[in-house]
Amino acid sequence: MLTVLLQQGINGIVVGSLYVLVALGLTLIYGVLVQINFAHADIVTLGAFAAYFFTHAFGGSYLASIGIALVVGGALGWLINAAIFAPLRDRGSELLPLIATIGVSIMLQNAMLAWFGPIPYAFDTPYSEHVIRIGSTFFTVQSVLIIIVSTTTIGLLYAFMKFTFLGKALRAVSQDRETAGLMGINPNYLIMLTFVIASALAGMGGALLGPVLVMTPFAGTSVIVKAFAIVIIGGFGNVEGTIIAGLLVGLIESYTTQFLDPGLIDIVVFALLLLMLAVRPTGLIAEKREENV
Amino acid sequence: MTELLATDGLELAYGQTPACRDITFHVDDGEIVTLIGANGAGKSTTLRAIAGALLPRAGTIRFRGQDITRLPSYERTRLGIALVPEGRRVFPFLTARENLELGAFKYRNDKAKVRALIDKVFAMFPRLSERASQNAGTLSGGEQQMLALGRAMMSEPYLLCLDEPSLGLAPMIVQDIFRTIRSINTAGTSVLLVEQNARYALATASRGYVLQTGSIIASGPCATLKEDERVRHAYLGRSAVEGVSERVSR
Repeated sequence: MLTVLLQQGINGIVVGSLYVLVALGLTLIYGVLVQINFAHADIVTLGAFAAYFFTHAFGGSYLASIGIALVVGGALGWLINAAIFAPLRDRGSELLPLIATIGVSIMLQNAMLAWFGPIPYAFDTPYSEHVIRIGSTFFTVQSVLIIIVSTTTIGLLYAFMKFTFLGKALRAVSQDRETAGLMGINPNYLIMLTFVIASALAGMGGALLGPVLVMTPFAGTSVIVKAFAIVIIGGFGNVEGTIIAGLLVGLIESYTTQFLDPGLIDIVVFALLLLMLAVRPTGLIAEKREENV
Repeated sequence: MTELLATDGLELAYGQTPACRDITFHVDDGEIVTLIGANGAGKSTTLRAIAGALLPRAGTIRFRGQDITRLPSYERTRLGIALVPEGRRVFPFLTARENLELGAFKYRNDKAKVRALIDKVFAMFPRLSERASQNAGTLSGGEQQMLALGRAMMSEPYLLCLDEPSLGLAPMIVQDIFRTIRSINTAGTSVLLVEQNARYALATASRGYVLQTGSIIASGPCATLKEDERVRHAYLGRSAVEGVSERVSR
């Protein structure tokens, strides 16, 4: 029994840390812009495809493909922001950019559908087959890799936000954009930076998720729905809350699979979401923030 | 004296709602100039336009000989204008020290300089050094005002703009804040002070402009303004209102 708990706990953390990578981007963008980015899902998908083609078509290594997906994601984030969102924001509308994110999402999905077709791709990595056994628990090298990469990335992001001038400026912009401008911070530059970081995380998340997803042009959507739930459970714009909520949702998934039924995962997760909205709409660790006001 | 800041015929509006018209005034090097007037007279609006938080519909703003009318706020900070906004607007979830660091954003590549500037602010407000690692949102109103003032000084401005620094603070703390403003000015920074508390403002500044419903209705040395009938009228009105709000807040 303990073995099962431990085994499923590990599985949950692996899945959860992938969710965190995707959800962090949503939370960062929401924090700075108070805007939900529906196109985030498609950057996850494109990251997965970038890694897939790099390894399967060009014979590149899987480890390098994670970096490729990161760069592709970041570049896409920059492009989408510069070409579509920034001009709309300049016109001073709140609603237009939100609708535009839906438009961009549909456009990207259909572009991928045209290029890649609807049939799922099989993303094999050399690490999925290697199984390590410790005591009576098993895990693949892929899952160890996922945990190492996502923990490192989250740690780096946290250090960036906490200790660098730009990171502090980013937090300042998300707390009070106008006053940040008075400090000599160019908010547009930081919004761009946020999009790049968020999308790079999403692209990288895609490369790590690729092997476990049903890889179609709509693959990101299944992940993003959970990422939205995580962002809400963690408190919109709250980085620590998002990390905790992501791991929590991962654990709930794997224990639901073990003890109830895999088909119930979304019901349990979204029941938690509704419960949170009813009981603590400001998110998991909101209390600490409220004290600070 | 050389001219530091000058506006000419500023017309300001929030969307379609006009707020100020024909605002022409100037601040010379080393001066403390005050804009006084009742609530809603357009003082804060004018100050926001100086700092670049609001772009004027018409008119020009010159700073150190350069036309800055269309310059975004983050560029103006680099040129040497700092604003302490109304209500202080410290970043609540950043520590006091982080708030100060961001005030020196234009010096972000010079760590030693930022540290030296923080030490200078701590010397000015020893209370802040005790609170350095606390989130700014947990500080008292007076401490937040000190922080906002220190944060503005971190950019070593030529012109320090203050929007209602006395708002919501106890009289003892207000005296402290105004003493600090005078010493900042003595050390070489020019000050543009917007204040509802005309008594304090006229005692601190050398010249003043009186705003009423979006226009400048009087201007001159503070000693002269104190004797002006319209100003005295504004005084009395203000004191009466103040007395009421004090009683309510208790």
